[in-house]
Amino acid sequence: MRPGAGGCAQGRRRQLVVVLVLALSTILSAADWREAAAGYRFAFPHDHASHPDYKIEWWYYTGNVETSAGRRFGYQVTFFRVGVVAAPENPSRWAVRDLHMAHLAVSDPEGARYRFDEKLTRGGPGLSGAATDRYRVWNEDWSASLDDQGRHVIRAASDRAGVDLVLSEGKAPAINGIDGISQKGAQAGNASHYYSLTRMPTRGVVTIDGERFEVSGESWMDHEFGTSFLEREQQGWDWLSLQLSDGRELMLYQLRRSDGTRDPRSSGTLVDTAGRTTHLSAADFTLAPTGQTFRAPSGATYPIGWTIAVAGLGLDLRISTPMENQELFTRGAGIAYWEGLVDVAGTSRGARLTGRGYLEMTGYKGSLGRVMTQ
Amino acid sequence: MQSRLFEQFILRRMAQERARTLTTVVGIALGIAVVLAIQLTNASSVRGFETALASVAGRTSIEIVGTGGIDEMRLPDLGWLRAFGTMSPVIEGEMAIVGGGQAAPGPGAPTPSTRAGAGFRAPRTEAVKVLGVDILQDLTVRDYLGVEVETPQQFLELLTSPRAIVITEKLARRRGYALGDELPLMAGDRVNTFVVRGLLKDEGPAKVMDGSFVLMDIAAAQLAFDRLGRVDRLDVQLRGDGRAAGEATANAPGSAEIDAALAAISARLPAGLTAQRPSRRGEQVERMLAAFHLNLTALSWVALVVGLFLVYNTVTISVIARREEIGMLRALGVTRRQVLGLFLGEAAVLGLAGTLLGIGLGRVLADAAVGLTRSTVSTLYIATAASTPALAGWHVGLAFAIGVPLSLLAASLPSLEASRVPPTAAMRGSDRLASRVRLRAAALVAPALVLLVALALARLGPVDGRPLFGYAASLATIIGASLLVPAFIHVLARSLAGPLRRLLGVEGLLAHANLAAAIPRLSISVAALAVSLSMMVAVAVMIGSFRDTVAYWVGQTLQADLFIGPGLQPTVGSEQTLSAPVIAAVETHPGVDAVDSFRNIDLVYNGNLVVLGAGNFALVLSHGSLLFKAPADGREALRRAIGTESVVVSEAFANKYGTRPGDTLTLQTPQGARPFAVAAVYYDYAVDRGVIVMDRGTFRRYFGDLTPSGLAAYLKPGFEPERVRSEILSGLDEGHRAFIYTNRDLRAEVLRIFDSTFAITYALEIIAIVVAMLGVAATLLTLVLERQRDLSMLRLIGAARRQVRRVIVIEAALIGAASQAIGLVVGLALSVLLVYVINVQSFGWTIQFRVPVTFLAQVSIAVVVATAVAGIYPARRATALVVGQDE
Repeated sequence: MRPGAGGCAQGRRRQLVVVLVLALSTILSAADWREAAAGYRFAFPHDHASHPDYKIEWWYYTGNVETSAGRRFGYQVTFFRVGVVAAPENPSRWAVRDLHMAHLAVSDPEGARYRFDEKLTRGGPGLSGAATDRYRVWNEDWSASLDDQGRHVIRAASDRAGVDLVLSEGKAPAINGIDGISQKGAQAGNASHYYSLTRMPTRGVVTIDGERFEVSGESWMDHEFGTSFLEREQQGWDWLSLQLSDGRELMLYQLRRSDGTRDPRSSGTLVDTAGRTTHLSAADFTLAPTGQTFRAPSGATYPIGWTIAVAGLGLDLRISTPMENQELFTRGAGIAYWEGLVDVAGTSRGARLTGRGYLEMTGYKGSLGRVMTQ
Repeated sequence: MQSRLFEQFILRRMAQERARTLTTVVGIALGIAVVLAIQLTNASSVRGFETALASVAGRTSIEIVGTGGIDEMRLPDLGWLRAFGTMSPVIEGEMAIVGGGQAAPGPGAPTPSTRAGAGFRAPRTEAVKVLGVDILQDLTVRDYLGVEVETPQQFLELLTSPRAIVITEKLARRRGYALGDELPLMAGDRVNTFVVRGLLKDEGPAKVMDGSFVLMDIAAAQLAFDRLGRVDRLDVQLRGDGRAAGEATANAPGSAEIDAALAAISARLPAGLTAQRPSRRGEQVERMLAAFHLNLTALSWVALVVGLFLVYNTVTISVIARREEIGMLRALGVTRRQVLGLFLGEAAVLGLAGTLLGIGLGRVLADAAVGLTRSTVSTLYIATAASTPALAGWHVGLAFAIGVPLSLLAASLPSLEASRVPPTAAMRGSDRLASRVRLRAAALVAPALVLLVALALARLGPVDGRPLFGYAASLATIIGASLLVPAFIHVLARSLAGPLRRLLGVEGLLAHANLAAAIPRLSISVAALAVSLSMMVAVAVMIGSFRDTVAYWVGQTLQADLFIGPGLQPTVGSEQTLSAPVIAAVETHPGVDAVDSFRNIDLVYNGNLVVLGAGNFALVLSHGSLLFKAPADGREALRRAIGTESVVVSEAFANKYGTRPGDTLTLQTPQGARPFAVAAVYYDYAVDRGVIVMDRGTFRRYFGDLTPSGLAAYLKPGFEPERVRSEILSGLDEGHRAFIYTNRDLRAEVLRIFDSTFAITYALEIIAIVVAMLGVAATLLTLVLERQRDLSMLRLIGAARRQVRRVIVIEAALIGAASQAIGLVVGLALSVLLVYVINVQSFGWTIQFRVPVTFLAQVSIAVVVATAVAGIYPARRATALVVGQDE
């Protein structure tokens, strides 16, 4: 697993980096794609399905689950759709309109194991895709879809990791941002439509290194689509999805600028026990590293302890992780990010509370904004 | 002691008789060289295909194939294959570079086929193998990691543009292309301009085929080859050792693992799909070419056999000439075994020297032979950038393994004879040759038996599709005839004395007398020459009959006025089709009355590649003409076959697989194995691997795609084909290139291809005859040396030099005439074997037997003249010696 070992892996990586860079690039034919605009009205379950008019779309599942004996696991399954050419001139089914990426990771704090895998494919004759008439997104044999009872079924497996889970929706979808739009940059179009399913009762099987574990727990789903996201000076982001012990959930993300400052478009959403949402703008919260860091295999150094303060709500939270190495370093795409299960401890208006969640930190190995806007 | 004796007794003598030693060595060398050259040539066509196959297959251990490709919508249902490894869909084919490149083609570049074809086909500058793969996914399967893409935009182009390609650095260098350059390529009848977006380093597929390799994305390849909706096959790379596909896995799966996976995959594959190792396609091509190769091999052995006659000849002469000396040696106490050893030693030295020379010569001949066979192989079988493979260690081994032992074998009879020479021979001072000249009836028993064996062998069937007994029968015929040669010459000698004297005067009489006195040693030379001449006669009769038959067939069956095909000729593994604009241009021309379209695909039947064609049976009945072999009313059978699950098969197919009308064939269709009734067998001389034809409606039901690979157009009365042809062609835009033959052109083209196919045959025979001529010269030379005294006497009693020379030249011509006479008789017998046994068993064609009398007469005269010419050098030597005696 030595980075750069072997000309073969290196050559492949170099190419796929190029592919990804291009796929994510916003300047190429951006005009052919629809931009996220204020006033979008979500309708479910239809909006679970794909929105191919937009260039970039992802479905993101993370979850904290455990066996009946209490052994804890974390998982992440993500499906990306990245538009390349809105209307290919080649009538072949293999012509590339979208690229389909997928990431799969399973964390096993007890066994100190973190296993992940990735896919990067084209649609071809239905080998990968995202349906528009109903919710079904798949990348070869990895898939997420709604069953006839409205439950989310996620199946993904590689040699190293696997999940086979059924998720109930739990609370109603929480719409992030304001007026159906989550603003990411200064320009109007640099935004997305973004909603979350914040507490999904989960049951099923996770597999790690061939070992199967029957698990249950709670998951979080994000579905986001838009055409352009980051701007050039935006270095990356730190994102948190927390399921608190008092029945509320908190989503926060903070965009970091390349000069080290915090981007004013950082925001969050608090979901109360009844599923009502409160939008948090950058001024409403602070998210600061504790100073504890982890140097990951890719060479990036991540701050893996955080403090959160939401003054208006009287929330003071400390984020820590039982497992430092949860970096997803995609050899193919050459992009590294830390995505892992975390624990929450703190107070709400003085009352103690705990929780579990997922932390995502991007842009610690090269600027994501520069990559995406090349 | 023994080595000293060998040096004194054998080597010194060989050195003294340089001319004879040299001709023998050259004779063996030519034989060995021809055998080697044909080995190399045969290897070149198959190996070209196989190395290309292997390098393109990369790490593929199993491939999934289907007749006519795989409908791509079946792919999602094959997702379970991922449990075995990565699966990579592939489009593979051939395109031709159109014009372009300024740089001159390199030395290894395939030369365009010229000659008559150039009038109709634009010069096919260079064919390139094209591979279309999912370039996102396929990188681990094949060694394309040397792809150099300079900018991200270029990679995006490659991924998304239907015009973007990667070419090899070798090709770029050779033809002067750089990144971003335009490169027009022709696929089928379509010319598209592609843009070079990447370069492949000289690894993997780029390394072979002289760099004539183009990589593109599968989407672009589907469009360019007009194969939307299907892939040619799925390549499966088995999971190596559990690590992810992205990592370089050094541990390739073992053979047992592949077999296990193959069995597991085969068990689960739906009907119509087959899992196999990639090398299977190479084996199929090898089998397809086997008959063609075997014939060349058999012919190449003729030259070797003639070369061995020379060894026999030389050693025999050596034994005869030295009986007294052998007797002396024996009297001095040299054992029989030692005498045997001495003469076998001579043969070994000759064989060794001949082999060494032959190996060097073989390499040179191979280049020539590859040149002669390349166009045949690529026209009739596979497109392959054939270059002569290097001489491998085993070739050298093979040369020694046949050269030396066979030389020893050839020398064993005379050597044994030498060892039986009694010590008293030294005293007696005469040889026993005189007694052997007498014709005994007993001498006829052996040849008669051998010929009977030949007759019996000729009646046996093929072995694994090869006419091995047919070849054995030919060999037996040759041996039997050779054994008859002394008797024949004896009879000839008796009956010719009078005529010779009348015709050629005293020189004729002398020549006759000399020859009659030397029948035993002459027999060998005559036999050698007769054998090669008989082969030539046989092949000439066979080819002449075959050509007449084909010409008749062409005249009967090629009825359409125009034949339209794609610019690039289809071969195995390189399907080429016509596109809609070209078809429309033909169909809408006011002069066109009816158009038959046909499509050919490769089908695996009984493990062999055969051609499956689709045609319009109704149109064949109304306009065309097939010659049916069976049943009697073929046309009625064809009529009944329309729309039903019926096929007609070619004669070659019927013979190879023992198929008769009324039989049922089980064919692999995309829906699985399906039975088809054989309605009729028709004559076809175009495809030796066999053709199955079904009506277009039936074909469409099972195989779907009917994109034609050719059209046949019938014109309305009053329209000039030549004019319609040029009108259709001039109506095509820049992007389309069709080749149109008029009926007359195509007939000429068929015969041109026919003739080029047999070019190598004639070349091999000429070599065999040259070797035999060397034998004649060597024999005469020996006779001259022995008759030194007689010749001096002639001069003393007043013969002019010119007269002495004339005697020798007449002797040579007589040998030639005798050989040719035998050659004609034996050759006709062999031609019957060729036409009715060997041809039928290996190719399965009905050939109308016809004797090309004029040609044979011309050849006979040429042979007599040529042998007379071969006598000139010995004649000169004779007078030179005599003069020496004079003064």
